[in-house]
Amino acid sequence: MSEEVRNLVHKHMPDFPASRCGRLFTDTTPFMDISYGDVIVLGGLHYLVLRDEQERRFGMEDPKFWVKRCHQLETGERKILKLVFYENFPMNIGGFKIQCYRSPHKEARILNLVKGDERFMQGISAKDAAGNVVRVLDVVLGKRLDSVVEELELDHRTYFHEVFPGILAKYLEAVEAIGFLHANWEKHGDIRRDHLWVEYGTGRYRWIDFDYTFEFQENPFGLDLFGLGNILLFLVGKGSVTLQNAADEAGIEAAARITPADLSLIIGNRVVNLGKLFSYLPEELNRVLLHFSAGAEVFYDSVDELMADLGPCLDLVGKP
Amino acid sequence: MDWNKVLVAFDASENSFRAVEYAGEMTGRSKGFYLELVYVERLPDRDMYPDDAAWKARCREHEAEVRAALARARGVLTARGLDAGSVGERYEVSCRSPLRQEQSCSLGTSIAHEILRIQQEGGFGTVVIGRRGVSKAEEFLFGSVSNKIIHAAKGCTVWVVS
Repeated sequence: MSEEVRNLVHKHMPDFPASRCGRLFTDTTPFMDISYGDVIVLGGLHYLVLRDEQERRFGMEDPKFWVKRCHQLETGERKILKLVFYENFPMNIGGFKIQCYRSPHKEARILNLVKGDERFMQGISAKDAAGNVVRVLDVVLGKRLDSVVEELELDHRTYFHEVFPGILAKYLEAVEAIGFLHANWEKHGDIRRDHLWVEYGTGRYRWIDFDYTFEFQENPFGLDLFGLGNILLFLVGKGSVTLQNAADEAGIEAAARITPADLSLIIGNRVVNLGKLFSYLPEELNRVLLHFSAGAEVFYDSVDELMADLGPCLDLVGKP
Repeated sequence: MDWNKVLVAFDASENSFRAVEYAGEMTGRSKGFYLELVYVERLPDRDMYPDDAAWKARCREHEAEVRAALARARGVLTARGLDAGSVGERYEVSCRSPLRQEQSCSLGTSIAHEILRIQQEGGFGTVVIGRRGVSKAEEFLFGSVSNKIIHAAKGCTVWVVS
């Protein structure tokens, strides 16, 4: 235990148990060794580590040892520190292996680009003593959008008419936000349902986690567009509608009309032609979804193209 | 547009070499053709390298590899009967290159549209491109230069070599 840490913590957080005070880290390279009670020094400020962040995927808690939930001692604010972890891994998407990279520089650059933009998580980057680009993030006080939607105890028709218009209005803003990144030659890189959060109080949607990157030459934003389509599908369907649960969602008769062309181009069991299941979907909205189906002949190349079709749907589903 | 002025899209892949061979076969024994090999630079992504030095080193290697491939492609064309004066090459530098800045450069938004811009600017009446033969799903995710060229080309003939 470091005396320096104990004194620092005692000064700013007198209730924190002295016996749990750990070491002082100015170099965050050995992030696996940094844990509860340790203090990280960045830009002259001290961050008491409370825990490693976890990601819940497929019902499992997956610890992210390079992401630390911290208490900033001088200001008392809660912060998330993302330490440098150069990861290079294949992402499996519908049978394709896409080589992805984790880039702290990319995330730092985007944080700078979106500073003050409420459509994105906020934070700064700072170099530690070893030159690692650490991202110091504000905690988004909110909930994952998909959890918000899944927890609504409404049948689909009621959801679609009463709740979805408000969701679509905000989702359009979130799509525009991704367009802003693309216009600045940046990609989000990991557009998934759990990376769009609804802020408590304001209800604002915020994108989080920008450190993934991948290399697509002809279609640099293809994976982002795929992610936007997936989220839209989830929001329209009030959850993932698959071949397996289509009958539960819309009845056996409607589900029997699903053909291979109605399924996702990339994720084979996901129903994209939701208009066949929910007859009250405006045709224009369903046509947007069909751009992501196995039967599609034309794809969206850009957020602008997606917005041009999706924007007018807001009037068709009813104003929120 | 002059149909005898042929722009051959080249990316150093096997498919593009096949397109070069085909273009050479079709034009090499005739008079009056001019073939220009065009490579639109796609640099390795900066974010995939820990620092600028490593990235720049890879960019230099990349350029050297492509220039060597362009020289081989030129050899393929002359071996099929085109004289050296009838073959040109253009290396369209990326606007984001860390190695140099040039007045004409590739913005990096779409290779297909860059090729068609060069075709229009140069008055090429024919564009030749190799085709990978991608599935619909691959085209959706990764894009297809040849498909985009087929859809977007105006006022020229497109030869697609499979």
